Amino acid sequence: MTATGLAATLLEVRQLGKRFAQRQGRDRGRNEGREPSPWVIQDLSFSVRAGEFLTIVGPSGAGKSTLLNIIAQTDTASAGEIVFDGTTISSRDPRALKPGIDRRIGYVTQDDNLLPWRSTLDNVLFALEVQGRLNDETRAHAETLIRTVGLAGFEHYYPHELSGGMRKRTSLIRTLVYDPPVILMDEPFAAVDAQTRTQLQADLLTLWELGRKTIIFVTHDITEAIALGDRALVLSKQPTRIAAEHMIPIPRPRNVKDLFALQGFAAVYERIRADVQ
Amino acid sequence: MISPAIRSSAIATALFRWRTLLDRVLVLVLIVALWQGGSMWFGAYWLSSPWATTTRFVEQILNGELLRHAGYTLAEASAGALIGGLPAVLLPFWLRRHPIVVAILDPFMIGGYGAPKLAFAPLFLLWFGVGMESKIALTASVVFFIVYFATLAGVRTLDPRLVQMAQIAGASERQIARHIVMPAAVPNIFAGFRIAVPYAIGAAVIAELISSNRGLGYLVQTGAMNFDTTSVFAAIVAATLLVHAANLLMNTLEALLMRWRPPLQSMMET
Amino acid sequence: MTDATLETAAEVSAASRKWAIYGGRLLLAAAIILAWEYEARTLGPLFFAPPLDVLERIGTLAMSGQMLTDIAATMRVSAAGFAIAALCGVLLPFLLRRSLRATEAIEPYIMASMGIPKYALAPWLILWFGIGDLPKLIVVTLVVFYILYITTFAGIRGVDQRLINMARVIGASERVIAREIIWTSLLPFFFTGLKIAFPRAVSATIVGEFLVSTEGVGRSIEHARQISDTTGVFAGVVIAIALVLTINGIVNLVERWALRWRPVERDMQI
Repeated sequence: MTATGLAATLLEVRQLGKRFAQRQGRDRGRNEGREPSPWVIQDLSFSVRAGEFLTIVGPSGAGKSTLLNIIAQTDTASAGEIVFDGTTISSRDPRALKPGIDRRIGYVTQDDNLLPWRSTLDNVLFALEVQGRLNDETRAHAETLIRTVGLAGFEHYYPHELSGGMRKRTSLIRTLVYDPPVILMDEPFAAVDAQTRTQLQADLLTLWELGRKTIIFVTHDITEAIALGDRALVLSKQPTRIAAEHMIPIPRPRNVKDLFALQGFAAVYERIRADVQ
Repeated sequence: MISPAIRSSAIATALFRWRTLLDRVLVLVLIVALWQGGSMWFGAYWLSSPWATTTRFVEQILNGELLRHAGYTLAEASAGALIGGLPAVLLPFWLRRHPIVVAILDPFMIGGYGAPKLAFAPLFLLWFGVGMESKIALTASVVFFIVYFATLAGVRTLDPRLVQMAQIAGASERQIARHIVMPAAVPNIFAGFRIAVPYAIGAAVIAELISSNRGLGYLVQTGAMNFDTTSVFAAIVAATLLVHAANLLMNTLEALLMRWRPPLQSMMET
Repeated sequence: MTDATLETAAEVSAASRKWAIYGGRLLLAAAIILAWEYEARTLGPLFFAPPLDVLERIGTLAMSGQMLTDIAATMRVSAAGFAIAALCGVLLPFLLRRSLRATEAIEPYIMASMGIPKYALAPWLILWFGIGDLPKLIVVTLVVFYILYITTFAGIRGVDQRLINMARVIGASERVIAREIIWTSLLPFFFTGLKIAFPRAVSATIVGEFLVSTEGVGRSIEHARQISDTTGVFAGVVIAIALVLTINGIVNLVERWALRWRPVERDMQI
């Protein structure tokens, strides 16, 4: 039984298409006909419900990150549209982009993108500072988050003094701290060792259970997709579209450290693996 | 040589350090001895002597004269560093969103950087006279180009993903400039000033040598005109100490401000 | 709007961007010359010589051969100073490399002496050698020496220690190591250092001529200033800048020619 119930559709991707303008090698300055690349994403559609934890699986390649970039409004759509909370947010025109849609879409990227000159705590507080929401209450919230992911005591360390896993956690909570309704995550745990990864997954679920934000989580790891998500979408090879959709009927709360003991895990795994081939 | 019987590497390192210290003291003694020897051979007129220079130096510090003139030189260099440095830092920031203007300015800036500013010294002296203003103008022109290119490099090598991250978090253009672009550029700006400040002091002294009524360069020139080698040397020593003090200051500031930087720096910086 | 339309729009603006940049540069240059002319009219001939007068004077100097004499004198001293400095500045690091002990002992003194404003030695050198080529030569040599010493040292230190260790294991002698590994790794640094140093030698000579006024481009400038011949000062400064920029350009061309035959050489940017 899934945990989302019948919530409203929050985000809808309709027949999304994307291709890049390609420069032909040597004659960069000349106005020779620049062929657009073949369609990287084509006719991709899916929707996301409020409070849902959606995972997206697919092989490593341009498709997944590009999709998230378009949703987060850091890149344009070449065809189709994205509707968020009733309004069309996607755009063809790079100048009309509004990254983050007024802070309603958070984005945890693959690289941690921490500001190297700020301490852990200051990095977490950054978004609050910028949004003018820094006060005793929000600061306490930030400190709680730091403790929850096990970074207590490292508040005043600089990023270069932290391990990869710790930087990841900081990157995670600095988006969570300002509570955007939707959070995109682009293979955030890919660059981390297996043990740390399991711990981070557990931490993520713990934090998510507290607030039940809408999360779109992209990964190439099927196990991760099943462990975390309510629903998993499988992407095809390029031109990328949705190849399959699988509900994940594993009850919550889930113990990610002992996945194969989870009821129904193996069955879902087999189904998804078959589709990824 | 260190005896192979000593096994502890800690002792070996300590011994090495002591030996280095001893070597350095020996070299110093050698230099002073050569100086003294030369002074006795050629005469104090030509070479002064270690003792005479030292006593004169201390004397001129105590009677305040050296400090006063050093103060003038320092003031000229500092004022020039500020007047030249401030616009040099601000310009790349203002122009960050107008790359066309930067491109237009480029050949002029490169020309200004390549042209020897010190060659302009007579021109500045002509315009501003013999007082401090001409030295400040010269120093400012020297500092400006160095810091401009350093800042430009810092602003250009900004990681665009950090900007994007800030945008997603909801930062305005101004907040991005303040919280992302500025801190990212500070190491480069600092490197620019590190090079420029000692240069500025040198430039001030040179302008004073050509024509001046105060400052350390003036002391050197008057000393020479009076055939007073000891004065000349005392003033040169003072100028050298000033340059080294400036270097020390910049290094300390850097260590303080740059604690957040990862330890491995490339050799090609500065 | 489809992607194709957006792309062509981008192409068009790229072309017009180029025109904007070149146009902007021309406008800026014209504005500077106009401002120059304006200042000459308002501030008077003492401060600003009118551009046309300056051009005329340059022509006169060229015709009378005076310009050539000056340039020859300056280049003579620059080349000599550069050659000596290059020899010492490159050789010394190699020699010091042999003995870590010597390096450790001497290096602090070399660093300390680097802070001495070299031009400040000019008056004292005049006491020794009178007004002539020698004081200038010594100052220029010192200025260039430090540049090359530092670059060479940095280059040697930057050589991959693992290659050296490998060579030692094979049993190569120190001389072979110096020749094969260090010299070859050093080559790009070396050329960059020389590239920087030669124009510096020329500008250092010009500045030296301000202080030791016998002949040369710098001497003409300073002499003109002393008799308040503003046109002369302007003309001299223009010639000086043109000289240094030309030397810069020639050195760049030589480098490109040299690198053309050795495509493997990497161009190190210092």
